[in-house]
Amino acid sequence: MKSLSLSARMIIASAVLAVLVAGVFAILIQAMSSLDDATRREEHAKDVTAATLRLQKLVIDLETGVSGFILTRNEAVLKPWKDARAALPGQLANFQDLASTNPEQTQPARELAVTINEYVQEYSVPVVNIARTNPAAARDSVAREEGQYRTGEIRDRFTRFLAAENALASASAASASRQADRATALAITGLLGSALLIVLFGLYLARSTARPVRSVANAASRLAEGDLSVRLDKGGPGEVGELTTSFNRMAEELERRGAELEARNAKLRESERLKSELVSIVSHELRTPLASVLGFTSLLLTRDISSEDQRRYLGIIDSQGRRLSSLLNDFLDVEMLEEGQLELARELIDMGKLVDEQVQLFKGQSAKHELDVALPPKALPVRGDPRRLAQVVANLLSNAIKYSPEGGTVKVVGERDNSLVRVSVQDQGLGIPAEFHDRVFGKFFRGDAGPSGIEGSGLGLTIARSVVEAHGGRIDFESTSGEGSTFWLELPIAANDR
Amino acid sequence: MPRLFYAFVIAVGFSALMVLNGWSLSSSAGTGPGTIRITNREISRARVDAGRPGRGPGDLEIIRQNLFNKRIKSRPIGHADLVCTFVTRGTRSCTATYFLPKGRLVAGGSIRFPELYELAVLGGTRLYDNARGTLTVIRTTRRPRRDILVFRLTG
Repeated sequence: MKSLSLSARMIIASAVLAVLVAGVFAILIQAMSSLDDATRREEHAKDVTAATLRLQKLVIDLETGVSGFILTRNEAVLKPWKDARAALPGQLANFQDLASTNPEQTQPARELAVTINEYVQEYSVPVVNIARTNPAAARDSVAREEGQYRTGEIRDRFTRFLAAENALASASAASASRQADRATALAITGLLGSALLIVLFGLYLARSTARPVRSVANAASRLAEGDLSVRLDKGGPGEVGELTTSFNRMAEELERRGAELEARNAKLRESERLKSELVSIVSHELRTPLASVLGFTSLLLTRDISSEDQRRYLGIIDSQGRRLSSLLNDFLDVEMLEEGQLELARELIDMGKLVDEQVQLFKGQSAKHELDVALPPKALPVRGDPRRLAQVVANLLSNAIKYSPEGGTVKVVGERDNSLVRVSVQDQGLGIPAEFHDRVFGKFFRGDAGPSGIEGSGLGLTIARSVVEAHGGRIDFESTSGEGSTFWLELPIAANDR
Repeated sequence: MPRLFYAFVIAVGFSALMVLNGWSLSSSAGTGPGTIRITNREISRARVDAGRPGRGPGDLEIIRQNLFNKRIKSRPIGHADLVCTFVTRGTRSCTATYFLPKGRLVAGGSIRFPELYELAVLGGTRLYDNARGTLTVIRTTRRPRRDILVFRLTG
């Protein structure tokens, strides 16, 4: 389910509150209306009762008037009777009108009115007339009993009507009271519910707004203090969710940029370290041959030396001068490689021939080492820069000889398949300890060579790898400490000679 | 057409109901307790003088009345025959038969004052078979002689 925004939630919560409060007021209004109805019904019941009692009095006047006249034959005694007769139609109409508002009393009221009218028309008036002409007949027990029967019937109807009216009024009052009680209870419940809801609403606001904002503020403080790993829990309603997401994105971006900066710094530090190392190595590597050159030059200039010694000293100076030149070339090559300015020729070369030439060059340099070359009869054609590839092969051969101080066989193998030309150089020398394997192709890395007195700049393999990779090939080695090493390179075979 | 037919059926049914109700003479006691209120008008009176001249024991009075229920219609709904035998100069013993639309009611008893008297309902026919109760008669006018008759039937 899609999470509602904070605004929408607050609007909904406010609407619920408003509806609840409106409901409470509606209940209160309904309760007041019920009480008002009950009051009106009670007043109406009083009016009906009063009209009934007035009617009852008229009936009594009619009854007593007839009885008095029968006994006395005095017309004056008939005055209340006449008044009652005159007032009766109006009173009956009023009575029936009042009673008609209650359906349960309409029929009894009508029957009562009929009974009274029958009493007047069928008994009271005729008996008065009879009394005027034949008093004895009017005084007869038949007349009295008939009168008693009829008035008794009227009284019974009055009694039943009033009892029903009272019962209805009581029921109405009880109903109103119950409704009022219920409405009051509902209103109290509603008010308590509203209060509870308001408190819950406040808690909800604190939970959904204040707490997330406080979390964001705390996280922002930690971020400002440098803790870039700080993150907020995802989720939260609408805008809070967006805020936490934005904050987390910002923190991630800061962390990423921090990491980048840190990497750049590390790189810079490494670069600085390498420069220092370079300066140290350069100064060391340059100082040694330069010292030899300067020392022997000084000897030649300041002393009388035999021509044989002079030749030997000049040979040393020449050797050290070449060494200086080689070092400078290596430095320049590394610089060019690092700046991506190494330019390679794309000539068709027979790697077998190139390897053989380099082996021949190295064969006379060490009496303790035997160079064993195994090349296939077919050419090993590759397309590349012959000078650079020769430099690579020479570096591998040079390393094999330098790192085999006890001598031994250096086995050089050239081979090919459908796609590659492979050249490997295997020595029986010191080998490379496992902990140095990762760094063998790094700049200026010489392992234990420095303390062992083995010369070198630590740049040869770096240059070799760059050159081979620039030709689309790869270079690697296998080595066991104390048992020797095998360095090999693979180059793509030239397409037109496959 | 069907609407007119239904209206006709309803009208006939309602009329029949009204007539039946009228013939029951405002009585709800057709088959049980109830009250019948009607009026009468004397239409003939004959007297048979027995014994010494003037009113005396043994004289007969034969009366015919028309019966009305003015609440329903102005025309007579039946008639009544009263045969009275004087037992003293003022008191007579009467038997009255009331011919009503749904049967006859027979009442009898002693009458002292003809303006106001009670008779016992002795029985009846058809709807009023085995009827019992009281008939109260009260005179309303002397000329012509009109009475109010109230039959209070108990069963």
